[in-house]
Amino acid sequence: MPITTTRRRLLAGSVATLALPAFARAQGAVKPRLTVISQWSAGSDGAAITALGKKFEEKGGVWQHSPVPGFTTEMMNKLRAQIMAGDPPACSQLKGPEIAAWSKIAPTVDLDALVAAAGYEKVVAPDLAKLHKPGGKWIALPLQIYSTNMLFLSKRAMDKAKADKIPVTWADFNDLAEKMKAGGVAFPIANGGTRPDDGQKFEAALAGISPLAYRAAMMNLEKKALEGPEIKAAFAQVRKIADWMDPNVGAQHFSTNLKRFIDGDMGMMIMGGWAQGVLRNAGFKFEDFIIAPGPSDNSKPVFLLNADAFIFWQRKEADLQAGQTLMAQLVMDPAIQTMYSQITGSIPVRTDVDLSGEGWSEGQRTTAKALKDAIASNQAVLSMAHNMAQENGMTAAMIDVITEYVKNKTIKPEQAAARLAEAVESSR
Amino acid sequence: MRERTFAPSRVLIYLIVLLVAAAWLAPLVVVVLNSLRTNEEIAQGSMIGWPQHLAWSNYAAAWSGFCVAETCAGIRPYMLNSALVTIPATIFSTLLGAVAGYAVSLWRFRGDTWIYGIVTLGLFLPQQMRLLPWTIVLRDIGLINTLAGLVLIHTIQGLSFTTLFCRNYYVAIPHDLIRAARIDGAGFFRIFWRIVLPLSPPILIVTVIWQFTHIWNEFLYGVTFTSGQQQPVTAALIALSAAVADIPQHGVQSAAVIIAALPTLLIYVLGGRYFVRGLTAGAVK
Repeated sequence: MPITTTRRRLLAGSVATLALPAFARAQGAVKPRLTVISQWSAGSDGAAITALGKKFEEKGGVWQHSPVPGFTTEMMNKLRAQIMAGDPPACSQLKGPEIAAWSKIAPTVDLDALVAAAGYEKVVAPDLAKLHKPGGKWIALPLQIYSTNMLFLSKRAMDKAKADKIPVTWADFNDLAEKMKAGGVAFPIANGGTRPDDGQKFEAALAGISPLAYRAAMMNLEKKALEGPEIKAAFAQVRKIADWMDPNVGAQHFSTNLKRFIDGDMGMMIMGGWAQGVLRNAGFKFEDFIIAPGPSDNSKPVFLLNADAFIFWQRKEADLQAGQTLMAQLVMDPAIQTMYSQITGSIPVRTDVDLSGEGWSEGQRTTAKALKDAIASNQAVLSMAHNMAQENGMTAAMIDVITEYVKNKTIKPEQAAARLAEAVESSR
Repeated sequence: MRERTFAPSRVLIYLIVLLVAAAWLAPLVVVVLNSLRTNEEIAQGSMIGWPQHLAWSNYAAAWSGFCVAETCAGIRPYMLNSALVTIPATIFSTLLGAVAGYAVSLWRFRGDTWIYGIVTLGLFLPQQMRLLPWTIVLRDIGLINTLAGLVLIHTIQGLSFTTLFCRNYYVAIPHDLIRAARIDGAGFFRIFWRIVLPLSPPILIVTVIWQFTHIWNEFLYGVTFTSGQQQPVTAALIALSAAVADIPQHGVQSAAVIIAALPTLLIYVLGGRYFVRGLTAGAVK
């Protein structure tokens, strides 16, 4: 559906405005102001949030953004300090199950009326929506989506393997890797050595083998599923992947391998959709690689969701409340999501945004289509490696097991599966 | 006069020393080289390599160009913030530590070893453990999100270290010296000022180097208890390196790291020869 404001949406909007006299009054009387905490400071992330701030100012608001450089823990320390000091930001970046966890620490804003007015709920993937309304009410809004299991294929490596078919299932994938190896590709898989890297390989394997098992084991932590055959099969697949990787990655960012990937010394990369932005910014050409959804044994795309979001904290000040209303409206706005994703290389949360126009890349279109198809077949699941399926502590326990398994080739898949189940039990 | 000889054992020692030095310096060499290569050159090639042409623009971007979200002023304003925290906190913690060390070493009083023990206990508490207590303190005295709050934190936390070092240095001062001064009518502060402080330069240089380096390089408190424009230089460095959807800016990062390291490097160059001397001063009796 193209981005148009339908009459129904307008109607819904005006009804909601009537239903929200407090918000309406606040917005009429004072200049909206917003205090924001996020990790986004550098590169395209910094550029995107800066652009969002500009839009906020264009609408007459005062934008007060405090970037907290670093990783999630730093931002959480900052957030905790602000909450304890009685001065929570009007809005802060937070994602996944942490939204539910943090909402117990300080009161949040009920966004239900605004979400209804924007008709947002029906254009958001159901599992994703659930994360943002932990007590049944919307308190946070997703802003952009990445898939963590996109498959990147090096054209030169494909030439070496004399292959032109994009692998669909894990069997196809393994075939292609063997062909690449035989054709002289030194390492059929390109991988980095940062914390989520190995976790991403595992989640891609499990979700590709069985999205049902993934949902049960990784998202719901069902004991039976954690001990099921799919987990062992996923570990077996990860072993194959590990054998095709360059073991000398240290703690390097995956981008250190991009040159070898493009040159065809490395063949395939299972990476988040953000890798295409990285490839572009590193000066590589789109003709040199192919982007496809990650392998899926039932041939329908599986989409591992990673979504950034904003949570809204209760404030008494009228100007901050007006700012929160304006911010919520902006974050849900298809035009704003379009602007944001075009800067960062992600895809919009809204499944009704049209990506056919200029400014979108082929990779983004592929990703958006994969999301739509995956939602249709109930195969859009939440990423474990990127803290969407579980809280930080649980994720860390799982990734420890996976990384050790990848590095230590004497561990058998069955042993790894047992260790994973144990790690989950002890972190519950 | 003895002739210089190059005995095989000497050559071997130098060889080993050179090898160790090379291993230690290799990362620095990579950083210096990368600070002169463009991001594209690094991304298209490898992390390790000679600059194809000298990209001095990295230094310009690092100093006053790159953006931390909405602010595109490079590392410069953050260097100033760090200096505004580090210099006063170093001076206060060193002076207070010297007085405290002097009190517990030369003015024995009831419970002095306990007080000394409790003060130095601060050395063993992990940073994260102290984060929440500090939040409450700063909130209650209204210094949250101010540079003054950071100066307070680093002054007080620095006391553990400075007291420990000064005390261990001052116990070597003969008690008779203090006693003689007291007979002459000198009080606590006069003895400190006239007798103890003039003996102190080696240990004060050690504590200044130590405190300066630690406070300058500190990140956790710096990023938690400041906001936006007041952040220290470490926060700006991390901001440069933590982009998810972007290629790491190795060139500008390397240049920024080198610029940010210059003040501590300067302190070592100026005071370095006292450093080892001061550290070992109390060791041999």
